[in-house]
Amino acid sequence: MSRRAAAELLCGVNLRALLDSVDAFLFDCDGVIWKGDKLIDGVPQTLDLLRSKGKKLVFVTNNSTKSRTQYAHKFTSLGLSVTQDEIFSSSFAAAMYLKVNHFPPQNKVYVIGGEGILEELQLAGFTALGGPEDAEKRVHLKSNYFFKHDKNVGAVVVGLDPHINYYKLQYGTLCIRENPGCLFIATNRDSVGHMTDLQEWPGAGCMVGAICGSTGREPIVVGKPSTFMMDFLLQKFDINTSRMCMVGDRLDTDILFGQNAGCKTLLVLSGVTTQSTLDDSSNSTQPDYYTSKVSDILTLLGE
Amino acid sequence: MLTKAAASVSASVTAATATYSSSKSLLSLNQSHQLLCLKRLSSSHSISALGIKWRISNFRYNHKMETFRFTTKASAQPLKNADELIDSVKTFIFDCDGVIWKGDKLIDGVPETLDMLRSKGKRLVFVTNNSTKSRKQYGKKFETLGLNVNEEEIFASSFAAAAYLKSINFPTDKKVYVIGEDGILKELELAGFQYLGGPDDGEKKIELKPGFLMEHDKDVGAVVVGFDRHFNYYKVQYGTLCIRENPGCLFIATNRDAVTHLTDAQEWAGGGSMVGAICGSTQREPHVVGKPSTFMMDYLADKFGILKSQICMVGDRLDTDILFGQNGGCKTLLVLSGVTSLSMLQSPNNSIQPDFYTNKISDFLSLKAATV
Repeated sequence: MSRRAAAELLCGVNLRALLDSVDAFLFDCDGVIWKGDKLIDGVPQTLDLLRSKGKKLVFVTNNSTKSRTQYAHKFTSLGLSVTQDEIFSSSFAAAMYLKVNHFPPQNKVYVIGGEGILEELQLAGFTALGGPEDAEKRVHLKSNYFFKHDKNVGAVVVGLDPHINYYKLQYGTLCIRENPGCLFIATNRDSVGHMTDLQEWPGAGCMVGAICGSTGREPIVVGKPSTFMMDFLLQKFDINTSRMCMVGDRLDTDILFGQNAGCKTLLVLSGVTTQSTLDDSSNSTQPDYYTSKVSDILTLLGE
Repeated sequence: MLTKAAASVSASVTAATATYSSSKSLLSLNQSHQLLCLKRLSSSHSISALGIKWRISNFRYNHKMETFRFTTKASAQPLKNADELIDSVKTFIFDCDGVIWKGDKLIDGVPETLDMLRSKGKRLVFVTNNSTKSRKQYGKKFETLGLNVNEEEIFASSFAAAAYLKSINFPTDKKVYVIGEDGILKELELAGFQYLGGPDDGEKKIELKPGFLMEHDKDVGAVVVGFDRHFNYYKVQYGTLCIRENPGCLFIATNRDAVTHLTDAQEWAGGGSMVGAICGSTQREPHVVGKPSTFMMDYLADKFGILKSQICMVGDRLDTDILFGQNGGCKTLLVLSGVTSLSMLQSPNNSIQPDFYTNKISDFLSLKAATV
């Protein structure tokens, strides 16, 4: 088992060296750019500075509740100028996974998750069932009641779903257990995330864990730390991964994703990870660098 | 697709020392792919490192993989001489769903079979992972179905959760948050514990907007999770906050059954689903009090003063009932009247072999007659 050197605290010197050695910065969103619907201080100015230095900016998020288009709107509403093709969400990743694996368009996809997944699936030409409209459905556990499910569902996609309920769990479970060859795809498995600015909330890892528990199966994970999204990124940007820096707040998704893909990695402590978690002896994921928040890049360069 | 997946994983594992990412990519395959990859990689030097990574992985550890690596039991025998089995034990422990009843329908021949066993002086005990009812409520269900069973003979996982807390001297000034149904609440109350949550929280909604903060009771010292048809995000967040933020907070699961026959017509997502959800958000494994954990076995053996080697466990599920019996050192009889079919028992993917198997418990009567 290889042990990486401990993460270096970002400072003026190593930051300048980092800027010289990378052409693109990949940013996670929750806990890095924003927390819930609140922008983190100093982000717009930092992104502008990096762009002015000729760096490409890409946003890679495991949050599947929005599509790339919806994320572009969120960026705009927060005063950030980011286009749809600079965004790679796990909702997009799920649809792309089905596309590259030639999922037959006559098969349907059952979604335990938000609008974002449904929209990306529809954009990719697939028929999606479930999603937010199943939030109000209830089950009746009585003698003559039979819970029906569509036998044409060939894949169940599970992502963050704050409207999770037993109906959805049962629907997804029946599809996976009873439809021959049905795929079980997880957008991601983040345990918690900053869905609001004030606290952490259960992430997709919860909904995915529920389906693992009822099916006894492990999912195909398309979001970080799987490097699946990197393949699409590389199609768009002709940059070697060694000249990219992944900036994120979570060790077991963002940093691992960056390391798996051969990028440099920068952990920010503005999200789910604290200094003590990073330093804890049970943690074996060490980013190259760490700092308190993204805008430190601006501050450190001003020194 | 199977060969392609196996080849790509085999390449990534043997290319370097086993890393977290390669064990994760292996885990991203479905179970049958995983078994195939393990078989192919068994000669590789990296298998032991992969095995270590597997054990410390954050993902739910699939016990089927564990039994695949370690033990091979002789195949289960079809029950032919029921008398011999009956005479060799003093106590029968019966699972309920799929053995005694299916949903609210009694399985044929059950009353006569139980009467016969009692007439032979056998002690009967009923151990169910279904935590939706308390022992008292189960007693009523038995009565409604015309079965003569005492509340003291019933051990539901709802009772097990309360009994477990009692056995560890859980302080009565601490509270218990429940993701589950009425049965758990009733048993906690009977045992003198304060509880929060349960079915009432089924109607609670949350709104993920700026400035919204969900409070939780800092006095919650244990979260008990079982089957919950009113499962929702509010409950997940409440339980998650307690486990992550209240120092020393226990995470207890009544059971982890993947699916269960809640109605006679089909299978339903079981307690394993709710427990899996909380494992996913807390990255912690629970203390399981229901089958296959032997907590209930130890409890009733102690209570009734019976030797485990003189018990026969009768159930319909391999990874809970039969494993429970085996873990306790009992004889085991699988009935095919519930979730397990003969082909599942005989599948090469299955490594849990009961001592005997038969169609249903009333075979005790018909097989008995055949040997006369």
